[in-house]
Amino acid sequence: MATYARATDPFPLQSAEQNKLHEFYERLAEGRLTTTACARCRRVSWPPRGFCPECVADEFAWIDLPVEGRIHGFTIQDAGVPAGFEAPRVFAIVSVGDARIFAPIVGPNANTLTVGSRVRLAPLRVADDARGSPRHLVAFALVETSG
Amino acid sequence: MRPVALVGAGVTRFGVRKASYRDLIWEAGKACFDSVPALRPKHLDGLVVGSVMPERTAFQSHISSLAAEALGIKPSALSARTEHMCASGTVGIRYAYAFIAAGLADLVMVLGVEKLNQPVADEAILNMGTGVDREWEACHGLTAPPCFALAAQRHMAEYGTTEEQLARVGVKNHTHASRNPNAHFQKGATLEQVLWSRMIAAPLRLYMCSPITDGAAAVILASGQWARDLTDRPVWIRGTGQALDGFTLSSLPDDYSHWPAMRRAARSAYAMAQVGPGDVDVAEVHDCFAIAEVIAYEELGFCEKGEGGPFVETGRSDYGGDVVVNPRGGLMGCGHPLGATGVAQDVEVFAQLRGEAGARQLPDAAIGLTHNNSGMGEHVVMIYGRDPA
Repeated sequence: MATYARATDPFPLQSAEQNKLHEFYERLAEGRLTTTACARCRRVSWPPRGFCPECVADEFAWIDLPVEGRIHGFTIQDAGVPAGFEAPRVFAIVSVGDARIFAPIVGPNANTLTVGSRVRLAPLRVADDARGSPRHLVAFALVETSG
Repeated sequence: MRPVALVGAGVTRFGVRKASYRDLIWEAGKACFDSVPALRPKHLDGLVVGSVMPERTAFQSHISSLAAEALGIKPSALSARTEHMCASGTVGIRYAYAFIAAGLADLVMVLGVEKLNQPVADEAILNMGTGVDREWEACHGLTAPPCFALAAQRHMAEYGTTEEQLARVGVKNHTHASRNPNAHFQKGATLEQVLWSRMIAAPLRLYMCSPITDGAAAVILASGQWARDLTDRPVWIRGTGQALDGFTLSSLPDDYSHWPAMRRAARSAYAMAQVGPGDVDVAEVHDCFAIAEVIAYEELGFCEKGEGGPFVETGRSDYGGDVVVNPRGGLMGCGHPLGATGVAQDVEVFAQLRGEAGARQLPDAAIGLTHNNSGMGEHVVMIYGRDPA
Protein backbone atom coordinates (compact mmCIF):
# COMPACT_ATOMS: atom_id res chain seq x y z
CA MET A 1 0.00 0.00 0.00
CA ALA A 2 1.09 3.51 -0.74
CA THR A 3 1.89 5.53 2.33
CA TYR A 4 0.73 9.13 2.78
CA ALA A 5 3.12 11.19 0.69
CA ARG A 6 3.49 14.55 -0.92
CA ALA A 7 4.08 14.15 -4.62
CA THR A 8 5.02 17.53 -5.91
CA ASP A 9 7.92 19.21 -7.65
CA PRO A 10 7.94 22.88 -6.73
CA PHE A 11 10.33 23.92 -9.49
CA PRO A 12 9.69 24.31 -13.23
CA LEU A 13 11.05 21.83 -15.75
CA GLN A 14 13.68 23.82 -17.62
CA SER A 15 15.47 21.55 -20.09
CA ALA A 16 15.28 21.84 -23.89
CA GLU A 17 12.92 18.89 -24.30
CA GLN A 18 10.53 20.19 -21.64
CA ASN A 19 10.38 23.96 -21.98
CA LYS A 20 10.27 26.35 -24.94
CA LEU A 21 12.08 28.92 -22.76
CA HIS A 22 15.03 26.60 -22.06
CA GLU A 23 17.54 29.14 -23.43
CA PHE A 24 16.54 31.50 -20.63
CA TYR A 25 17.59 28.93 -18.07
CA GLU A 26 20.78 27.99 -19.90
CA ARG A 27 21.88 31.64 -19.84
CA LEU A 28 20.70 32.08 -16.25
CA ALA A 29 23.07 29.26 -15.26
CA GLU A 30 25.88 31.37 -16.79
CA GLY A 31 24.89 34.42 -14.75
CA ARG A 32 22.95 36.20 -17.49
CA LEU A 33 19.42 37.59 -17.25
CA THR A 34 17.66 37.46 -20.59
CA THR A 35 14.15 37.78 -21.97
CA THR A 36 12.25 37.63 -25.23
CA ALA A 37 11.94 40.51 -27.69
CA CYS A 38 9.46 40.11 -30.53
CA ALA A 39 11.28 39.79 -33.85
CA ARG A 40 8.48 41.65 -35.64
CA CYS A 41 7.33 44.51 -33.37
CA ARG A 42 10.33 44.56 -30.96
CA ARG A 43 8.14 44.41 -27.87
CA VAL A 44 10.20 43.24 -24.87
CA SER A 45 8.32 41.04 -22.39
CA TRP A 46 8.90 40.00 -18.81
CA PRO A 47 8.53 37.13 -18.06
CA PRO A 48 9.69 35.75 -21.43
CA ARG A 49 6.85 34.59 -23.65
CA GLY A 50 6.06 32.01 -26.31
CA PHE A 51 4.42 34.50 -28.64
CA CYS A 52 3.98 38.24 -28.76
CA PRO A 53 0.74 39.47 -27.13
CA GLU A 54 0.82 42.60 -29.32
CA CYS A 55 1.38 41.29 -32.84
CA VAL A 56 1.05 37.53 -32.22
CA ALA A 57 4.37 36.73 -33.93
CA ASP A 58 6.14 33.73 -32.44
CA GLU A 59 9.62 34.58 -33.66
CA PHE A 60 11.63 36.23 -30.95
CA ALA A 61 15.17 37.14 -30.10
CA TRP A 62 16.73 36.68 -26.67
CA ILE A 63 18.07 39.96 -25.30
CA ASP A 64 20.15 40.58 -22.20
CA LEU A 65 18.65 42.61 -19.35
CA PRO A 66 20.96 44.44 -16.94
CA VAL A 67 22.11 42.16 -14.11
CA GLU A 68 21.79 45.01 -11.63
CA GLY A 69 18.57 46.60 -10.49
CA ARG A 70 16.94 48.43 -7.61
CA ILE A 71 14.38 47.38 -5.01
CA HIS A 72 10.93 48.69 -6.01
CA GLY A 73 9.13 47.08 -3.06
CA PHE A 74 9.70 44.25 -0.63
CA THR A 75 8.32 42.24 2.26
CA ILE A 76 9.87 39.75 4.65
CA GLN A 77 7.73 36.70 5.32
CA ASP A 78 8.31 35.35 8.83
CA ALA A 79 5.71 32.60 9.02
CA GLY A 80 3.35 30.50 6.94
CA VAL A 81 5.74 29.44 4.17
CA PRO A 82 5.01 26.29 2.15
CA ALA A 83 6.42 22.88 3.01
CA GLY A 84 9.96 22.60 1.69
CA PHE A 85 10.78 26.32 2.05
CA GLU A 86 12.39 28.03 5.03
CA ALA A 87 11.32 31.24 6.76
CA PRO A 88 12.18 34.05 6.90
CA ARG A 89 12.01 34.74 3.18
CA VAL A 90 12.82 38.12 1.67
CA PHE A 91 10.61 38.77 -1.36
CA ALA A 92 11.08 41.79 -3.60
CA ILE A 93 9.99 43.46 -6.77
CA VAL A 94 13.20 44.47 -8.52
CA SER A 95 13.27 47.16 -11.22
CA VAL A 96 15.62 45.96 -13.94
CA GLY A 97 15.60 48.29 -16.93
CA ASP A 98 11.91 48.64 -17.81
CA ALA A 99 10.98 45.29 -16.24
CA ARG A 100 9.71 44.70 -12.71
CA ILE A 101 10.87 41.25 -11.66
CA PHE A 102 9.56 39.31 -8.67
CA ALA A 103 12.41 37.48 -6.96
CA PRO A 104 13.76 36.51 -3.57
CA ILE A 105 16.68 38.46 -2.14
CA VAL A 106 19.36 36.06 -0.94
CA GLY A 107 22.56 36.38 1.04
CA PRO A 108 23.40 36.90 4.72
CA ASN A 109 22.47 40.60 4.74
CA ALA A 110 19.27 40.25 2.68
CA ASN A 111 17.04 41.52 5.50
CA THR A 112 18.83 44.90 5.58
CA LEU A 113 17.36 45.96 2.24
CA THR A 114 15.31 49.13 1.75
CA VAL A 115 13.31 50.52 -1.16
CA GLY A 116 15.90 51.77 -3.64
CA SER A 117 18.67 49.35 -2.55
CA ARG A 118 20.94 48.16 -5.38
CA VAL A 119 20.84 44.43 -6.06
CA ARG A 120 22.65 42.13 -8.43
CA LEU A 121 21.55 38.89 -10.10
CA ALA A 122 22.54 35.87 -8.00
CA PRO A 123 21.11 32.77 -9.75
CA LEU A 124 19.93 30.17 -7.27
CA ARG A 125 20.76 26.50 -7.93
CA VAL A 126 17.83 24.34 -6.83
CA ALA A 127 17.15 20.58 -6.96
CA ASP A 128 17.91 18.86 -10.26
CA ASP A 129 14.89 17.62 -12.20
CA ALA A 130 13.96 13.93 -12.17
CA ARG A 131 16.35 13.24 -15.07
CA GLY A 132 19.29 14.90 -13.36
CA SER A 133 19.30 18.19 -15.30
CA PRO A 134 20.47 21.13 -13.18
CA ARG A 135 17.96 23.89 -12.45
CA HIS A 136 18.37 27.56 -11.55
CA LEU A 137 15.94 30.27 -10.42
CA VAL A 138 16.20 34.05 -10.63
CA ALA A 139 17.35 35.61 -7.37
CA PHE A 140 19.16 38.80 -6.42
CA ALA A 141 21.62 39.77 -3.69
CA LEU A 142 22.31 43.18 -2.20
CA VAL A 143 25.25 45.05 -3.72
CA GLU A 144 27.68 46.02 -0.96
CA THR A 145 28.03 49.78 -0.88
CA SER A 146 31.38 51.20 0.19
CA GLY A 147 31.52 53.73 3.00
CA MET B 1 -32.36 38.89 -20.94
CA ARG B 2 -34.67 37.29 -18.39
CA PRO B 3 -34.62 38.42 -14.75
CA VAL B 4 -32.82 36.04 -12.37
CA ALA B 5 -33.11 35.73 -8.58
CA LEU B 6 -31.71 33.81 -5.66
CA VAL B 7 -34.42 31.67 -4.08
CA GLY B 8 -32.46 29.54 -1.62
CA ALA B 9 -29.19 29.53 0.27
CA GLY B 10 -27.29 27.44 2.78
CA VAL B 11 -23.84 27.14 4.30
CA THR B 12 -21.86 24.66 6.39
CA ARG B 13 -19.98 25.45 9.53
CA PHE B 14 -16.61 26.85 8.40
CA GLY B 15 -13.41 25.82 10.16
CA VAL B 16 -10.92 22.99 10.43
CA ARG B 17 -13.54 20.37 9.73
CA LYS B 18 -13.48 16.69 10.51
CA ALA B 19 -15.42 16.00 7.34
CA SER B 20 -14.79 14.62 3.88
CA TYR B 21 -15.07 16.63 0.68
CA ARG B 22 -18.40 14.90 -0.03
CA ASP B 23 -19.63 15.47 3.56
CA LEU B 24 -19.23 19.21 2.97
CA ILE B 25 -21.17 19.00 -0.32
CA TRP B 26 -23.98 17.15 1.48
CA GLU B 27 -24.10 19.67 4.35
CA ALA B 28 -24.29 22.77 2.16
CA GLY B 29 -26.69 21.15 -0.30
CA LYS B 30 -29.04 20.00 2.46
CA ALA B 31 -28.99 23.43 4.13
CA CYS B 32 -29.75 25.08 0.80
CA PHE B 33 -32.64 22.74 -0.09
CA ASP B 34 -34.04 23.19 3.43
CA SER B 35 -34.38 26.91 2.70
CA VAL B 36 -36.77 26.23 -0.23
CA PRO B 37 -39.26 23.66 1.06
CA ALA B 38 -41.23 23.52 -2.20
CA LEU B 39 -38.20 22.38 -4.15
CA ARG B 40 -36.68 18.90 -4.59
CA PRO B 41 -33.33 18.11 -6.19
CA LYS B 42 -35.11 16.56 -9.20
CA HIS B 43 -36.64 19.95 -10.07
CA LEU B 44 -33.27 21.56 -10.77
CA ASP B 45 -31.97 21.54 -14.34
CA GLY B 46 -28.45 22.71 -13.61
CA LEU B 47 -25.49 22.64 -11.24
CA VAL B 48 -22.26 24.63 -11.17
CA VAL B 49 -19.58 23.77 -8.60
CA GLY B 50 -16.85 26.23 -7.65
CA SER B 51 -13.86 24.35 -6.29
CA VAL B 52 -10.17 25.12 -6.63
CA MET B 53 -7.98 22.20 -5.68
CA PRO B 54 -9.80 18.92 -4.93
CA GLU B 55 -7.22 17.24 -7.19
CA ARG B 56 -4.64 17.97 -4.49
CA THR B 57 -6.72 17.95 -1.33
CA ALA B 58 -9.15 15.08 -2.01
CA PHE B 59 -7.32 13.42 -4.95
CA GLN B 60 -10.50 13.94 -6.92
CA SER B 61 -11.50 15.57 -10.19
CA HIS B 62 -14.79 15.21 -12.17
CA ILE B 63 -16.30 17.42 -9.49
CA SER B 64 -19.62 18.59 -10.95
CA SER B 65 -20.78 15.02 -11.64
CA LEU B 66 -19.68 13.84 -8.20
CA ALA B 67 -21.62 16.69 -6.61
CA ALA B 68 -24.69 16.17 -8.82
CA GLU B 69 -24.89 12.56 -7.73
CA ALA B 70 -24.34 13.44 -4.07
CA LEU B 71 -27.07 16.09 -4.23
CA GLY B 72 -29.59 14.09 -6.27
CA ILE B 73 -29.55 16.58 -9.14
CA LYS B 74 -29.78 15.28 -12.71
CA PRO B 75 -28.69 18.26 -14.80
CA SER B 76 -30.50 18.59 -18.14
CA ALA B 77 -29.38 22.12 -19.04
CA LEU B 78 -26.08 22.93 -17.30
CA SER B 79 -23.36 21.03 -15.45
CA ALA B 80 -19.95 22.58 -14.92
CA ARG B 81 -17.14 23.20 -12.48
CA THR B 82 -15.51 26.61 -12.19
CA GLU B 83 -11.91 27.10 -11.07
CA HIS B 84 -10.74 30.69 -10.75
CA MET B 85 -8.73 30.44 -7.54
CA CYS B 86 -10.34 32.48 -4.73
CA ALA B 87 -13.12 33.84 -7.01
CA SER B 88 -14.27 30.40 -8.22
CA GLY B 89 -17.62 30.62 -6.42
CA THR B 90 -18.69 33.96 -7.84
CA VAL B 91 -17.43 33.00 -11.29
CA GLY B 92 -19.78 29.99 -10.99
CA ILE B 93 -22.68 32.26 -10.02
CA ARG B 94 -22.05 34.35 -13.12
CA TYR B 95 -22.22 31.22 -15.31
CA ALA B 96 -25.52 30.13 -13.78
CA TYR B 97 -26.86 33.67 -14.05
CA ALA B 98 -25.93 33.89 -17.74
CA PHE B 99 -27.53 30.53 -18.58
CA ILE B 100 -30.78 31.44 -16.85
CA ALA B 101 -30.87 35.01 -18.20
CA ALA B 102 -30.36 33.61 -21.71
CA GLY B 103 -33.19 31.10 -21.33
CA LEU B 104 -30.89 28.08 -21.45
CA ALA B 105 -31.70 26.95 -17.89
CA ASP B 106 -34.38 27.69 -15.27
CA LEU B 107 -33.22 26.45 -11.89
CA VAL B 108 -29.53 26.06 -11.11
CA MET B 109 -27.69 25.34 -7.89
CA VAL B 110 -24.26 26.92 -7.47
CA LEU B 111 -22.24 25.17 -4.79
CA GLY B 112 -18.76 26.13 -3.62
CA VAL B 113 -16.70 23.61 -1.68
CA GLU B 114 -13.15 23.21 -0.41
CA LYS B 115 -11.43 20.86 2.02
CA LEU B 116 -8.12 22.63 2.45
CA ASN B 117 -6.78 21.38 5.79
CA GLN B 118 -4.53 18.36 5.47
CA PRO B 119 -3.03 15.91 7.98
CA VAL B 120 0.30 17.73 7.55
CA ALA B 121 -0.29 21.44 8.16
CA ASP B 122 2.36 22.93 5.91
CA GLU B 123 1.12 20.83 3.00
CA ALA B 124 -2.02 22.97 3.00
CA ILE B 125 0.18 26.05 2.58
CA LEU B 126 2.17 24.30 -0.15
CA ASN B 127 -1.08 23.67 -2.00
CA MET B 128 -2.00 27.35 -1.81
CA GLY B 129 1.04 27.98 -3.98
CA THR B 130 -0.83 26.45 -6.91
CA GLY B 131 -2.63 29.79 -7.16
CA VAL B 132 0.43 31.77 -8.23
CA ASP B 133 2.59 31.22 -11.30
CA ARG B 134 4.66 28.07 -10.75
CA GLU B 135 7.48 28.97 -13.12
CA TRP B 136 8.08 32.56 -11.97
CA GLU B 137 6.62 32.88 -8.46
CA ALA B 138 5.52 29.69 -6.69
CA CYS B 139 8.95 28.13 -7.32
CA HIS B 140 10.27 30.64 -4.76
CA GLY B 141 7.71 29.59 -2.13
CA LEU B 142 5.42 32.53 -2.85
CA THR B 143 1.82 32.35 -1.61
CA ALA B 144 -0.70 35.15 -1.10
CA PRO B 145 0.51 36.95 2.08
CA PRO B 146 3.67 38.55 0.62
CA CYS B 147 1.71 39.76 -2.45
CA PHE B 148 -0.82 41.62 -0.32
CA ALA B 149 1.94 42.78 2.04
CA LEU B 150 3.52 44.56 -0.93
CA ALA B 151 0.18 46.32 -1.54
CA ALA B 152 -0.10 47.25 2.14
CA GLN B 153 3.40 48.72 2.25
CA ARG B 154 2.69 50.80 -0.84
CA HIS B 155 -0.66 52.03 0.55
CA MET B 156 0.99 53.01 3.84
CA ALA B 157 3.79 54.87 2.05
CA GLU B 158 1.53 56.67 -0.40
CA TYR B 159 -1.51 57.51 1.76
CA GLY B 160 -0.23 57.32 5.32
CA THR B 161 -2.43 54.31 6.11
CA THR B 162 -1.47 53.05 9.57
CA GLU B 163 -1.00 49.63 11.13
CA GLU B 164 -3.82 50.51 13.52
CA GLN B 165 -6.19 51.21 10.63
CA LEU B 166 -5.35 47.82 9.13
CA ALA B 167 -5.92 46.27 12.55
CA ARG B 168 -9.35 47.94 12.75
CA VAL B 169 -10.46 45.82 9.78
CA GLY B 170 -9.46 42.71 11.71
CA VAL B 171 -11.28 43.88 14.86
CA LYS B 172 -14.47 44.72 12.92
CA ASN B 173 -14.61 41.45 11.00
CA HIS B 174 -13.74 39.25 13.97
CA THR B 175 -16.42 41.08 15.97
CA HIS B 176 -18.97 40.45 13.20
CA ALA B 177 -17.93 36.78 13.08
CA SER B 178 -18.66 36.46 16.80
CA ARG B 179 -22.35 36.80 15.84
CA ASN B 180 -22.08 34.10 13.16
CA PRO B 181 -22.46 30.50 14.41
CA ASN B 182 -20.95 29.22 11.14
CA ALA B 183 -17.75 31.31 11.34
CA HIS B 184 -14.29 29.74 11.73
CA PHE B 185 -13.51 32.24 14.55
CA GLN B 186 -16.27 33.31 16.95
CA LYS B 187 -14.36 34.83 19.86
CA GLY B 188 -13.96 38.33 18.43
CA ALA B 189 -10.68 40.25 18.72
CA THR B 190 -9.48 43.41 20.43
CA LEU B 191 -7.26 46.04 18.84
CA GLU B 192 -4.40 44.94 21.11
CA GLN B 193 -4.81 41.30 20.10
CA VAL B 194 -4.63 42.16 16.43
CA LEU B 195 -1.68 44.55 16.81
CA TRP B 196 0.29 42.09 18.92
CA SER B 197 -0.49 38.96 16.90
CA ARG B 198 2.53 37.42 15.23
CA MET B 199 3.95 38.87 12.05
CA ILE B 200 3.22 36.84 8.91
CA ALA B 201 4.55 39.10 6.13
CA ALA B 202 5.28 42.67 7.18
CA PRO B 203 3.11 44.65 7.78
CA LEU B 204 0.42 41.94 7.84
CA ARG B 205 -0.03 40.17 11.18
CA LEU B 206 -1.93 36.96 11.85
CA TYR B 207 -5.24 38.69 12.70
CA MET B 208 -5.00 40.74 9.50
CA CYS B 209 -5.00 37.54 7.42
CA SER B 210 -7.70 35.00 6.54
CA PRO B 211 -7.03 31.43 7.71
CA ILE B 212 -6.99 28.13 5.82
CA THR B 213 -10.51 26.83 6.19
CA ASP B 214 -12.77 23.95 5.14
CA GLY B 215 -16.37 24.59 4.18
CA ALA B 216 -19.08 24.71 1.56
CA ALA B 217 -21.96 26.97 0.60
CA ALA B 218 -24.79 26.72 -1.90
CA VAL B 219 -27.41 28.97 -3.50
CA ILE B 220 -30.20 28.28 -5.97
CA LEU B 221 -30.73 30.69 -8.85
CA ALA B 222 -34.07 30.79 -10.66
CA SER B 223 -35.68 32.52 -13.60
CA GLY B 224 -38.13 35.26 -12.62
CA GLN B 225 -41.20 33.10 -13.12
CA TRP B 226 -39.81 30.23 -11.06
CA ALA B 227 -38.56 32.65 -8.41
CA ARG B 228 -42.03 34.13 -7.83
CA ASP B 229 -43.56 30.65 -7.68
CA LEU B 230 -41.05 29.41 -5.13
CA THR B 231 -40.84 32.30 -2.68
CA ASP B 232 -42.44 35.63 -1.88
CA ARG B 233 -39.03 37.11 -1.11
CA PRO B 234 -36.65 36.40 -4.01
CA VAL B 235 -33.35 38.32 -4.03
CA TRP B 236 -32.75 39.68 -7.50
CA ILE B 237 -29.47 39.76 -9.37
CA ARG B 238 -29.27 43.36 -10.52
CA GLY B 239 -25.78 43.63 -11.94
CA THR B 240 -22.48 41.86 -12.43
CA GLY B 241 -19.00 42.71 -13.61
CA GLN B 242 -15.61 41.03 -13.98
CA ALA B 243 -12.23 42.43 -14.98
CA LEU B 244 -8.62 41.33 -15.00
CA ASP B 245 -5.41 43.34 -14.89
CA GLY B 246 -2.94 40.49 -14.78
CA PHE B 247 -1.84 37.24 -13.18
CA THR B 248 1.83 37.52 -12.25
CA LEU B 249 3.10 40.31 -10.00
CA SER B 250 5.24 41.55 -12.90
CA SER B 251 2.15 42.03 -15.08
CA LEU B 252 0.20 44.18 -12.61
CA PRO B 253 0.19 47.97 -12.70
CA ASP B 254 3.31 49.50 -11.19
CA ASP B 255 1.58 50.70 -8.00
CA TYR B 256 0.08 47.78 -6.06
CA SER B 257 -2.07 50.08 -3.92
CA HIS B 258 -4.27 50.70 -6.98
CA TRP B 259 -6.43 47.85 -8.27
CA PRO B 260 -7.98 49.24 -11.46
CA ALA B 261 -9.58 45.91 -12.43
CA MET B 262 -11.77 46.09 -9.31
CA ARG B 263 -12.87 49.61 -10.26
CA ARG B 264 -13.77 48.40 -13.78
CA ALA B 265 -15.65 45.33 -12.51
CA ALA B 266 -17.60 47.52 -10.08
CA ARG B 267 -18.36 50.11 -12.75
CA SER B 268 -19.85 47.38 -14.99
CA ALA B 269 -21.96 46.03 -12.15
CA TYR B 270 -23.21 49.45 -11.00
CA ALA B 271 -24.09 50.46 -14.58
CA MET B 272 -26.04 47.26 -15.13
CA ALA B 273 -27.85 47.57 -11.80
CA GLN B 274 -28.42 51.31 -12.28
CA VAL B 275 -27.25 52.01 -8.75
CA GLY B 276 -24.18 53.74 -7.33
CA PRO B 277 -21.87 53.02 -4.40
CA GLY B 278 -23.98 55.27 -2.15
CA ASP B 279 -26.99 53.00 -2.69
CA VAL B 280 -25.29 49.90 -1.29
CA ASP B 281 -26.56 48.99 2.20
CA VAL B 282 -24.53 45.88 2.80
CA ALA B 283 -21.36 44.59 1.11
CA GLU B 284 -19.51 41.30 1.36
CA VAL B 285 -15.99 42.11 0.15
CA HIS B 286 -12.94 39.92 -0.26
CA ASP B 287 -10.94 40.69 2.91
CA CYS B 288 -8.39 37.93 2.39
CA PHE B 289 -6.05 40.42 4.09
CA ALA B 290 -6.89 43.66 5.90
CA ILE B 291 -5.36 45.78 3.15
CA ALA B 292 -7.68 44.18 0.59
CA GLU B 293 -10.75 45.50 2.40
CA VAL B 294 -9.20 48.97 2.71
CA ILE B 295 -8.49 49.07 -1.02
CA ALA B 296 -11.96 47.64 -1.76
CA TYR B 297 -13.63 50.62 -0.01
CA GLU B 298 -11.77 52.85 -2.45
CA GLU B 299 -12.10 50.90 -5.69
CA LEU B 300 -15.79 50.12 -5.07
CA GLY B 301 -16.37 53.85 -4.61
CA PHE B 302 -17.41 53.85 -0.95
CA CYS B 303 -14.73 56.50 -0.33
CA GLU B 304 -12.04 58.42 -2.24
CA LYS B 305 -8.71 56.83 -3.19
CA GLY B 306 -6.41 56.83 -0.17
CA GLU B 307 -9.27 57.35 2.33
CA GLY B 308 -9.77 53.65 3.10
CA GLY B 309 -7.83 53.78 6.37
CA PRO B 310 -9.85 56.64 7.91
CA PHE B 311 -13.04 55.05 6.47
CA VAL B 312 -12.70 51.98 8.69
CA GLU B 313 -11.21 53.92 11.62
CA THR B 314 -14.28 56.19 11.86
CA GLY B 315 -16.74 53.31 11.67
CA ARG B 316 -18.12 54.14 8.25
CA SER B 317 -17.90 50.47 7.16
CA ASP B 318 -19.66 49.16 10.28
CA TYR B 319 -23.22 49.13 11.62
CA GLY B 320 -24.35 52.75 11.91
CA GLY B 321 -21.96 53.86 9.15
CA ASP B 322 -22.30 54.38 5.39
CA VAL B 323 -22.36 50.69 4.45
CA VAL B 324 -22.02 47.53 6.53
CA VAL B 325 -19.01 45.69 5.14
CA ASN B 326 -18.65 41.97 5.82
CA PRO B 327 -21.50 41.46 8.29
CA ARG B 328 -20.95 37.67 8.36
CA GLY B 329 -17.32 38.27 9.48
CA GLY B 330 -15.57 38.28 6.13
CA LEU B 331 -12.81 35.93 5.11
CA MET B 332 -10.80 36.91 8.20
CA GLY B 333 -13.53 35.88 10.64
CA CYS B 334 -15.36 33.15 8.70
CA GLY B 335 -12.29 31.69 7.05
CA HIS B 336 -11.58 31.28 3.37
CA PRO B 337 -12.47 27.91 1.84
CA LEU B 338 -11.56 29.26 -1.63
CA GLY B 339 -14.36 27.97 -3.89
CA ALA B 340 -16.95 28.32 -1.12
CA THR B 341 -16.16 31.94 -0.26
CA GLY B 342 -17.95 33.71 -3.12
CA VAL B 343 -21.04 31.57 -2.62
CA ALA B 344 -21.00 32.14 1.15
CA GLN B 345 -20.91 35.90 0.49
CA ASP B 346 -24.12 35.50 -1.50
CA VAL B 347 -25.69 33.41 1.25
CA GLU B 348 -25.18 36.37 3.61
CA VAL B 349 -26.54 38.96 1.17
CA PHE B 350 -29.55 36.67 0.57
CA ALA B 351 -30.23 36.58 4.32
CA GLN B 352 -29.68 40.33 4.80
CA LEU B 353 -31.99 41.32 1.93
CA ARG B 354 -34.72 38.97 3.20
CA GLY B 355 -34.41 40.19 6.78
CA GLU B 356 -33.27 36.77 8.00
CA ALA B 357 -29.77 37.59 9.24
CA GLY B 358 -30.67 37.44 12.93
CA ALA B 359 -28.11 39.10 15.23
CA ARG B 360 -26.28 40.42 12.17
CA GLN B 361 -29.33 41.94 10.47
CA LEU B 362 -29.00 45.45 9.06
CA PRO B 363 -32.55 46.85 9.28
CA ASP B 364 -34.23 47.44 5.93
CA ALA B 365 -31.29 46.34 3.75
CA ALA B 366 -32.38 46.73 0.11
CA ILE B 367 -29.21 46.68 -2.00
CA GLY B 368 -26.35 44.23 -1.43
CA LEU B 369 -22.97 43.86 -3.13
CA THR B 370 -20.48 41.03 -3.22
CA HIS B 371 -16.85 41.35 -4.30
CA ASN B 372 -14.65 38.31 -4.81
CA ASN B 373 -11.09 38.41 -6.14
CA SER B 374 -8.36 36.01 -7.10
CA GLY B 375 -5.17 37.91 -6.47
CA MET B 376 -4.80 41.68 -6.66
CA GLY B 377 -5.46 41.85 -10.40
CA GLU B 378 -8.65 39.81 -10.89
CA HIS B 379 -12.03 40.93 -9.57
CA VAL B 380 -15.71 39.97 -9.73
CA VAL B 381 -18.59 42.11 -8.43
CA MET B 382 -22.27 41.22 -8.06
CA ILE B 383 -25.12 43.53 -7.06
CA TYR B 384 -28.37 42.22 -5.59
CA GLY B 385 -31.68 43.93 -4.89
CA ARG B 386 -34.69 43.23 -2.72
CA ASP B 387 -36.68 44.57 -5.66
CA PRO B 388 -36.26 43.35 -9.26
CA ALA B 389 -35.44 46.84 -10.58
